Amino acid sequence: RLCLLICQLNTRVAFFIVHWLADWGRAWRAGRPDMADCSHWQPPRPCEAYRAEWKLCRSARHFLHHYYVHGERPACEQWRRDLASCRDWEERRSAEAQRSLCESERARVQAARKHILVWALRQSPPADWHLPLPQEKDE
Amino acid sequence: MAGAPDVRGSGPAAGEQLQQQHVSCQVFPKRLAQGNPQQGFLSSFFTSNQKCQLRLLRTLETNPYVKLLLDAMKHSGCAVNKDRHFSCEDCNGNVSGGFDASTSQIVLCQNNIRNQAHMNRVVTHELIHAFDHCRAHVDWFTNLRHLACSEVRAANLSGDCSLVNEIFRFHFGLKQHHQTCVRDRATLSILAVRNISKEVAKNAVDEVFESCFNDYEPFGRIPHNKTYARYAHRDFQNRDRYYSNI
Repeated sequence: RLCLLICQLNTRVAFFIVHWLADWGRAWRAGRPDMADCSHWQPPRPCEAYRAEWKLCRSARHFLHHYYVHGERPACEQWRRDLASCRDWEERRSAEAQRSLCESERARVQAARKHILVWALRQSPPADWHLPLPQEKDE
Repeated sequence: MAGAPDVRGSGPAAGEQLQQQHVSCQVFPKRLAQGNPQQGFLSSFFTSNQKCQLRLLRTLETNPYVKLLLDAMKHSGCAVNKDRHFSCEDCNGNVSGGFDASTSQIVLCQNNIRNQAHMNRVVTHELIHAFDHCRAHVDWFTNLRHLACSEVRAANLSGDCSLVNEIFRFHFGLKQHHQTCVRDRATLSILAVRNISKEVAKNAVDEVFESCFNDYEPFGRIPHNKTYARYAHRDFQNRDRYYSNI
């Protein structure tokens, strides 16, 4: 009876240790996007979107718009690289492609957020947005 | 909230300083009139109010700039109701429209909006002001920098300063001319609603230009035409997937 008790205890302890290790592994991977679970990760945009952006960027019309706004020619190479990475990931689930795409998109987000805002952002919409107009309220 | 020569202005608000109210009520005379009910839809087919309403409806339903702005505002908790948040009125001068922050309403100048394309641009411009009002603490009446910032964004992102529009105004320029146009139109918009000197308005625009010109929300890019606006809308609708995978 004592041996049976020890066996049961060992099984439960072993069961607990295995599950704890699995949870720890998942938490560790979640903290490292480059190690994200491949079955859940997908490119931030569909590959067709990268192709469309690259095609638009290379168009004569976009060259004209970009020169009109910024006074220089547009840089389209990164869209081409992202399209290649996207296709690479779709075909081979390449970790390098995943890393490259994440890095590229994070750089885009950083570039968009680098300016300091003139105003403070709201936590909730204006309280009077949905209120009736003053004359409607009087009626 | 103005652009020129399609000048737009802000409406009067309770507690606004007298000089601003004096300027605004001259532009939007009906804003302060009491008991001035909106004309109903039963007017003849050729009234300016009817045309304004029909054009507005078409803009809200089909224009990709406006559809993105409406989605973004709904996402921010400011769902737009056509009857509550838009008003077609007669305006003085060359004004095309304005955003009245005191009543959260966009005023469309039915006597000055020339055609559907013009309506599209005016609605886009004013919705950018409304979007800024919804997502940020914008002090429209006492902070000139805030007003200048919203005007820079509206001139930049609404298509006001497209190459074609500038050519029609006989403003010819190519390299970086867009930025010159945005500065000029933002300055004129401020002058339309504030009784200040051109120098003061220009300085306010210069102070905030770097930050506000590069703030592309909610488009994520400068929408040069409807294709860009559609791509921007596609990206906005995809934002959950985007941010969860970078």
